[in-house]
Amino acid sequence: MKKVMFLTGLLFMAIIVTACGGGNSSSGAGDNEVSLWVHTSDETPEGEAMQNIIDRFNEENEGTYSAKIEFIPRSGAGGGYEDKINAALTTDSLPDVLTLDGPNTAAYAEAGIIAPIDDYITNKDDLLPSIIQQGTYEDQLYAVGYSESGVGVFYNKQMLEEAGIDLSTLPTVEEPWDWNQFMELSETLVNTYDTAAIDMGLDDKSEWLMYAFSPFLWSQGGNIVSEDGTTAEGYFNDENSVKAFSFIQEMVKEGYTTITPVEKGFHTGEYAMKFGGSWTIAELEDYPDVEYGVMPYPTSPDTNELVSPSGSWQYAMAASTEKQEAAGALIDFMTSTESLTEITLANSVLPAAHSVVEEVQDKVSPEMNVLIQQNQKSAHARPVLPNYPQVSRVFQQTVSDVAYYEENSDVQKLLDEKTGQMEKALK
Amino acid sequence: MNTKKRENLAAYLFLAPALLLLGTFLVIPALMAIYYAFTDYYLLTPDQRQFIGLQNFIEIFKDPIFIQSLKNIVLFVVFVIPIQVGAALGLALLINKPRKGNIFFKVAYFSPVVLSLVVISVLWLYLLNPSEGLINSLLTNIGLEAQPFLSSPKQAMLTIVFVSAWQGAGYQMLIFLAGLQNIPASVYEAGKIDGVNKWQNFIHITLPLLKPTSVLIMITTLISAFKLIIQPMVMTQGGPMNSTITPVYYIYQSGFSDRMIGYASAMTVIFGVIIGIITLVQSRLTKEDEM
Repeated sequence: MKKVMFLTGLLFMAIIVTACGGGNSSSGAGDNEVSLWVHTSDETPEGEAMQNIIDRFNEENEGTYSAKIEFIPRSGAGGGYEDKINAALTTDSLPDVLTLDGPNTAAYAEAGIIAPIDDYITNKDDLLPSIIQQGTYEDQLYAVGYSESGVGVFYNKQMLEEAGIDLSTLPTVEEPWDWNQFMELSETLVNTYDTAAIDMGLDDKSEWLMYAFSPFLWSQGGNIVSEDGTTAEGYFNDENSVKAFSFIQEMVKEGYTTITPVEKGFHTGEYAMKFGGSWTIAELEDYPDVEYGVMPYPTSPDTNELVSPSGSWQYAMAASTEKQEAAGALIDFMTSTESLTEITLANSVLPAAHSVVEEVQDKVSPEMNVLIQQNQKSAHARPVLPNYPQVSRVFQQTVSDVAYYEENSDVQKLLDEKTGQMEKALK
Repeated sequence: MNTKKRENLAAYLFLAPALLLLGTFLVIPALMAIYYAFTDYYLLTPDQRQFIGLQNFIEIFKDPIFIQSLKNIVLFVVFVIPIQVGAALGLALLINKPRKGNIFFKVAYFSPVVLSLVVISVLWLYLLNPSEGLINSLLTNIGLEAQPFLSSPKQAMLTIVFVSAWQGAGYQMLIFLAGLQNIPASVYEAGKIDGVNKWQNFIHITLPLLKPTSVLIMITTLISAFKLIIQPMVMTQGGPMNSTITPVYYIYQSGFSDRMIGYASAMTVIFGVIIGIITLVQSRLTKEDEM
């Protein structure tokens, strides 16, 4: 019995402790003061930009609205901040406006935590389609991402040239390469350097596997679940899925990539290529010897349609707020071109709106511009499902498992099994 | 009568802080978990939870991942108990003899216990790194093949067994050491007179007299072994191919990532009952032995 006590103690101690903390900080706001919770720290460039935006909002709306920002830094796996949101739910002490991660939109909307904000957002046409896709649940806009993210194929120019590859023939966002061409390139590199050609991050057993690998399935024309999000049967285990996952398996089987990459292998010249995002550009600033370029995601040979990962944190309005107008005005202000540009440049991330792309494209590196262009053209949001955590985890495990090509040589069988697990989550 | 009452009152007052803490952090949460186990409590909609009877339990017994996690933990326990307890006993015997520098070894063997499990896990993650880790470098240097310690479904759990035993053995070593030092010297002297050799000495004197210590160690090690969560969480995230997912880890995932508090609570109840039965059987067995 000690065991039961320990477990449940562990489970609920966290809830009780955080609940106590949540209660204290809720009230105390004036009539027109909107409270805002964000998941970042005020010491990060992102947090500083947010504080500046709030200061500007307070100046411009003096006498009508004001806003107060509270920083609740999240821990690695999204703990901290989300624990506090969960605790605030049980004590009914949510702020008026909050940030949430893209994949949480559906769960929060379905649970009635956040309210539709269609009526308050004035620049909806300017926002990138992936931002609208990510924030929309059951045809209503619930949340607006304030930046974007994406993944491209980073390549070491010197290593490719030494392997006899003419850099001018490499793919562009307008003319991407398909999987076969990409595997040919990988083979050349493997033959030259006798090690994996690309670090795809297959050792990262987390959201990355969903984020970075689902675009292959979409490029193939497949889908994880049905349009209405009720079933995975006939989607996650259909012919398109088999093709997409077979591509991943082949990359490992042929030795083009590895499930145990050396840490910072691309940065130190071990691998010639790497899946990376805007954060990789920041990392590579510390490795000035590596001369690199960025090419777009490889596409399915059947469709040749470029699809790339995307996703970001977003602003949303709490359904419990009594200050809808002020809260709506705040979100609209924070997602205006000016505010978005500020946060995009401060945080070195991809822009979330067309107008912001124009603002920043001359101020960032050509490599960043490849990611920006790719994102604008081909970004695909992750599925907006209330049961996203389960669906994503099954997807992650499928990617992770399919890489074990000896144990899972029958991709169809693996997908059938995983589809069953997904079905359970969708019920 | 009056003094007795007063004594009773005093006793309850002394008990009060402990009872209050136990009640708040153990009894009440445990009762809440048992109640939630019969509801569809979803973390984001606490007000809409409904009583759903045994539905959670039925689903759990059909959940392949939960079954897999039970198999994994049994594998872990079966390997970790003999290795960890054996290592602890060996170390205790080593440092029991008065010798120069004993304090140093005592501290050295005990130090992993003091370190946080997360730190230990990250440390071993570096040591076990397939291509640059110290251990694989050693292996390849002496002509052996580099091993996929944590990335092979066959080896991952055994690697975690080894790391856990290494980390935990120091604690049991101290308890064994106390047990060893409680064995009166006169018994050994008597043995000497009878002319026993070292091995007989160990088998017929040391081991039987260590029995009470061993029982305590077996029970506490068993219970803590079932609680395994941090090492797989940090080192393998339950993979590869679910080979290192443990019940507590799966409960944590279901409750906090999937937000299914009801389902997770039901698993804690089932798992608690299983542990309860095992502990009961174990204490019965060891009691009979003693007689």
